[in-house]
Formats: sequence, structure tokens, C-alpha cells
Amino acid sequence: MAPALCAVCKTARALIKRPKNHAKLCKTCFITIFEDEVHHTIISSKLFFPGEKVAIGASGGKDSTVLASVLKTLNERHGYGLDLVLLSIDEGIKGYRDDSLETVKKNAIDYDMPLKVVGYDELYGWTMDQVVETIGKKGNCTYCGVFRRQALDRGAKMLGIKHVVTGHNADDVAETVLMNLLRGDLPRLSRSTSIITGDSRSEVKRSKPLKYSYEKEIVLYAHHKKLLYFTTECIYSPEAFRGSARGLIKQLERVRPSSILDIVRSGEDMARLVPGASSSGCGCKGKEDAPLTAEEEEVGGGCGSSAGRPPGGEMAAMDRQLRENEEAEGLEIDVAKTMASKQEPKRELPIRNSNSKPTTQQVLGNCRLCGYMSSQDICQACTLLEGLNKNRAQIQI
Amino acid sequence: MEAPATSPGSLTRLCVKCRSQEATLESRTQPVCKDCFLKFISSKCIKHLGALGRLTRPPPPSLTRHYTLALSLGPSSTALLHLLHTNLTYSLTKNRAPPFHLQVVHITNDSTTPLPPADPLTPLRPLYPSFTFLLLPLSTSLSLPTIDFSALPPSGPTSSPPALRLRTLLAGLPSAASRADVLRLLTRHLLLHAAREARSQALLFGHSTTALAELTLSEAAKGRGFGVPWVVSDGAEPEGGVVVSHPLREVLRGEVVRYGGLVEPKLLVLEEEVEAKGGAVVSHRDLSIDEVMRRYFGEVEERYPAVVANVARTTGKLVRMLGGGGEGGRCGVCGTPLDGEGDERWRGELGVEGGGGTGEEAEGGGGGARLCYGCERSTRG
Repeated sequence: MAPALCAVCKTARALIKRPKNHAKLCKTCFITIFEDEVHHTIISSKLFFPGEKVAIGASGGKDSTVLASVLKTLNERHGYGLDLVLLSIDEGIKGYRDDSLETVKKNAIDYDMPLKVVGYDELYGWTMDQVVETIGKKGNCTYCGVFRRQALDRGAKMLGIKHVVTGHNADDVAETVLMNLLRGDLPRLSRSTSIITGDSRSEVKRSKPLKYSYEKEIVLYAHHKKLLYFTTECIYSPEAFRGSARGLIKQLERVRPSSILDIVRSGEDMARLVPGASSSGCGCKGKEDAPLTAEEEEVGGGCGSSAGRPPGGEMAAMDRQLRENEEAEGLEIDVAKTMASKQEPKRELPIRNSNSKPTTQQVLGNCRLCGYMSSQDICQACTLLEGLNKNRAQIQI
Repeated sequence: MEAPATSPGSLTRLCVKCRSQEATLESRTQPVCKDCFLKFISSKCIKHLGALGRLTRPPPPSLTRHYTLALSLGPSSTALLHLLHTNLTYSLTKNRAPPFHLQVVHITNDSTTPLPPADPLTPLRPLYPSFTFLLLPLSTSLSLPTIDFSALPPSGPTSSPPALRLRTLLAGLPSAASRADVLRLLTRHLLLHAAREARSQALLFGHSTTALAELTLSEAAKGRGFGVPWVVSDGAEPEGGVVVSHPLREVLRGEVVRYGGLVEPKLLVLEEEVEAKGGAVVSHRDLSIDEVMRRYFGEVEERYPAVVANVARTTGKLVRMLGGGGEGGRCGVCGTPLDGEGDERWRGELGVEGGGGTGEEAEGGGGGARLCYGCERSTRG
């Protein structure tokens, strides 16, 4: 049988079976289509304006490397007029960032983009290695994630840049959707899917130009463009819910390749069904009530790619917590009003009626300590830091 | 809990609920006796039947409500059948008017196997004499006006036998996952139809908490996030009419199965569910999205039952929205409201630039049928 021809150009030999829809393509057409789709996302979501200064959150991993490469290409090809800068965060994990930062430095030279590296130590006074030393390996991803989110914004602010793009891909977004469904976290579900977070009130806006790109296609793109990226997994443990959701997505993708995109679509639509969410909570239209707490955005990626890892501590802890709530609920009827107020049991009847309690709505303010935008009095990073510093003081005494 | 069961006396472990019988079971981390466990399950069910009773007022002349039960013959719907029977019998022994009339509908998939020579409902009829039983072949769904068949693969000449036409239609779908999905939708349409025909105020499903959590995630995985509340929550259909209810929504699958084994006489479960977990995966090509979810939740329920319950509870809070974007209308295949606003906002088109083989899928073919995103995916691949 003659070799299959590319479904697009019909001349070259098809070498790639597209993960997204199993179309058979040649190398050139795949690269073109991949870039065209990102271009389509950028144009249709009106991500940039001409002359905008944009920082690319660069980890040295495949996603951010591909993002930098594609943005450079598209910026030149379509004349976006963007001023692109690479922005890297050094968490201070020995053996993890040392090498990947080298990769970013090489990328900076290859793509001819300026590079800015911001360290956790200069921002927070703690490296991740020190954090792990203090609190152990359990739950440290929370610290890392919270710190990193702010670090990008603060780094951008230092450079006078108001827009940070990150390499979050469709798999990451789909994972987050399933994870928030599993956790029953509706407020997060309603925020996590928008392509742009942050609006006029926040100093730095975030966007995800690769939101609709499959992780597998990103890898293929990097491979065929011979991009230099750093492959490693964070040496500290990943979140269990994310790991569990990731395993599930991999299985779904095998059954129906479009599943990842379908979940992203479901997530976008379900975001509007969350009680209290605006009916058109769309960041791209710059609506006042657009989801904006980047601090708690929680689209993962970057760390913890624990493919198929069995669900661990986090899920067990939540399971326990939920059961305790349920038990407290039973108690509430005859005794223990004090306990009820402490535990805030959710007394939701499963049948939704019009006067059911809406889910908590968050009001955006600024952190009392660092001034970073936060829905709480003190932002997550400062809360975590407070705990850490308390510990450190004790140890040193 | 602050006050663990103190167990003095001869019994080794006291039931935490009645404090008089030996606890032989563990239910939601508490030691309980068999009677208390059975009571617990039935109270969960009755609570929702009560709520349903308030939602469904019978039209003036009659005082009795009319319900239809969707019976798959699996453990959950069989348990619900039994619970409804117990509930009715109890009312009658108290000399009250029967709270409802029940029609029990079972749908056989005649596309795979020809109608079984024996009526699968035969063993059940004598057990529940006060209920009416109805057996419907799935191919009857081919004549339903609620489905836009122009959006589905052709089923061949109308002169051929319906079972064959259904088989032809299903064979025209792009994958096993699509077939399973369309099969489920046709079944649902036919059940709603049977309920309407019988002038039932409500259609009852046996879905357990676990099944509802699975359904939530699998509908989301199929791109039908917008329709999830219409499928998973209780309430009337988009344009009024039959109320859909899941009285076992607060009972885990494991508990339902255990209930069926403890009731005396043991429940007659005619179709054992396929082993939920374990079992070697044959081929992903033959697997449906629903099966993937079933396997997944089989494991999660065993280890983290409260997480499963929480999924079902929180999705119950999602708002049922009628299609935004002005147009309104319902999907020609699944029947949930169309989401014009979601379509307008969607930027993740597959195979932009016509490279994907599917090309202009959004507008393509189908004689102008209007479908939701998920049904587009299922019918066109």
C-alpha cells in the first residue's frame, strides 16, 4: 500500500497522526496548523494590543518553551507588534531549577528575548528547599504554587509589564475542571476556565494562549521544531486530586481524542451555571465581574505531572473532613450548636430550589500585608509565610 | 464523634443508632445493626419521595399521583422498586389512600439481541402486584417526535423492521463511545415518552449518589457541561411537564447493593451490573466514556465515599439555565436546552483551517438539525 498522504497538502507523506482528531498530516502542515490555531485563539479572544509589552512565564519546560517559540513566530508573521520578554521564577529547588534555568537562558539567546529571573528567596525570604525542610514534603505544592503565582506578577511589575502569558495547555485546563468538580469547588470552577484572568482593577493580567492546545501536540511541535526544553518532574509530591484527574483524562483521551477539548468546553459552560456567577463571566469582554483572583487561579501545570498516580493524602483528608461535617450535621439537631458554628456544616438539600443558599461569592480587595490583590484580608502567600516564619523563629530559638 | 458507642453487657459491639442490637455492619464509618441500616436507606429514599410529592400535585379530579419508574433491572432501580413497594404497602396497611400509582417501564435493547422470547419482567410481576409493568423495545424510540433523526446516521428504509433500523443507525456512529452515548439518550427519550403517555407526573430513576457523580463527570467529559443540571438534578423538564427525580441520590452504590442483599427476601436483581472496577481493559476503542467513569468511581467510592457524595451534592447546586444567546430551543438529540451563548464564546474549534478532516463541523450536514456541542461530538466524531 502506498504511504498515506497528508490530509491537508495532499502531496507530502503523512508522518503525524494528530492527537487532537487523529488527522494524518505531514510535518510542515502540522506545524502550520498548530501555529494557526494558536493565532486563531489569540485573535478571536483579542489577547493582545499592538505595542503591548508581554512577559512570557518561562520555566524551561516544554509548554513555556513552545509558547515562547510560537509567540515569536506569530509576532513576526502577523505583525502583532509585541514586545516579548522571558520571565523566570527560581523556586530554589536544587537539581530542579538549576538546569532548567540554563535552558531558559539558552532560549533567551535563541529567541533573542531579554530574560528576567526572580527568586523565591528575594521575594519571600524562603527557598522551596527551606520550606520543605520546615514543613516536610506533604502539602508543599500549595506553597510553591501560591508563591509562584505572585512571583510572576511581582516580577512583571518590576519590569513594568502588565501582561503575563503562561504555557497552560488544554490538558491543564481540563484537569482543573475535573479536579474542581471532584473537589466540589464551584467558585474555582467558575474562574478556572477563562482565557484571561485579571482586568482593569488588577495590575497584571494573565492569559493562556495555549489553552486549546493539546499537551501531546505541544510535545510534537517542540520535537519537530527541534526546540530545546528541559524535561524533569518536580521532585516534591504532587496534589492528589490533580493526579487523580490527570489519570482520568489520559483514559478519556484514549477513548475519545477530543475529550480534553470537550472538558474545556464543559468547564467554560458550567462556569456560567455556578450560582452567583455572572451569566457572561467572560474575561475577554473586560466585564467588571470577570474572574480575576489570579492568586487563587489554580490552573496547575509546571509541577507535579504524576501521570496515573493513585489518589493520596489530599483526597483522604477531604474525605475525612466531609464525613466529619456530615456527622456534625447529624448532631446539630439535638445538641452541639457551638460545634455547628465552628464546623460550618453545609446543610444543603440535594434538591435545588429557588431559595437555596448560593455558593460563597468572593469580593476582591487587597492584602493588608503586601498589597497584592486578594479576596481575603491577608493574601494566601502572606498567610503561608506567617506560618513559616513562626516555625522558623521557634527553630532558631 | 464525641460519644462513641459504649458497649457494656453481653454484646460485643452495640449499634450506634438503636443502642440495643449487636452491630453487624459498618455504615459510613459507624457500627450499626441490620435493621438500622435498612431503615437508614429507606429513610433517605422516603425523604426524596416526600419532596417529590410536594413537587407533583395531581390534577383536581384524582387524588393519587402517577409515577413512572425506569427499571433497568440492575441493583439500584430494583432496590427503588422494592422501596416504592414497601412505601405503598405501608400506606395501605395504615388505611390511607395509596400515595401514588406506579408504572414500571423496562426498555430492552433490541438492536443487539432480538426480543427475548420470555418477558424479562415475568418474575417480577407477581412480586409487585399493585404496579403496572410495561416492556418496550428500544427501537420504538425511532418514531419519537422529540428526536431529530436527521442529525443521526440514516436508519434505512422505514419498511424494514425497527430493530434492524436501530442497528443500522447505531452502526453508522463513529465510535463505541458514541454508540453508548446515543443508546443512553434514546433510552432516556423513550422513558420520558412512556411517562408522558401514562400521564405520569414524574419519572423516577434509580441512580445512586455514585451513579449521579459518574453521570456528572461523563456528561462533562462529552462536552455537555451546560446540560448537566438538567440531567443530574431533580425537577421538571425544560418546558415543564414530567418531573425527573432520583430518590436514591443520597445512597452510595455499594450501599444499594448491600441493601438488596440484606432485604428479606433478597432482592431479585435480574441484571447484575458489569463489574465496576478491576477487570482487564479489553481495548480502549471498545470502551465508552460512561464505562471509564464507572471504573474510576468504582475505585473512588471504595476509598473516599464522602468525595463521591460531595460531587453529587455540589453539582446539585448548579443552576438549570435555558439557552442563552437569544435563540433558545432544545438539542435535537439529547433534548437539553441549546446554549447559544456558549457556542458564541467557544474558541476551541477543532481543526481550524479545515485541516482536521471534519472541516466546518459546526454547520455541516444533518439537514439543519440544531445540536448541542456534546451531541455534535457524539454524532459526527
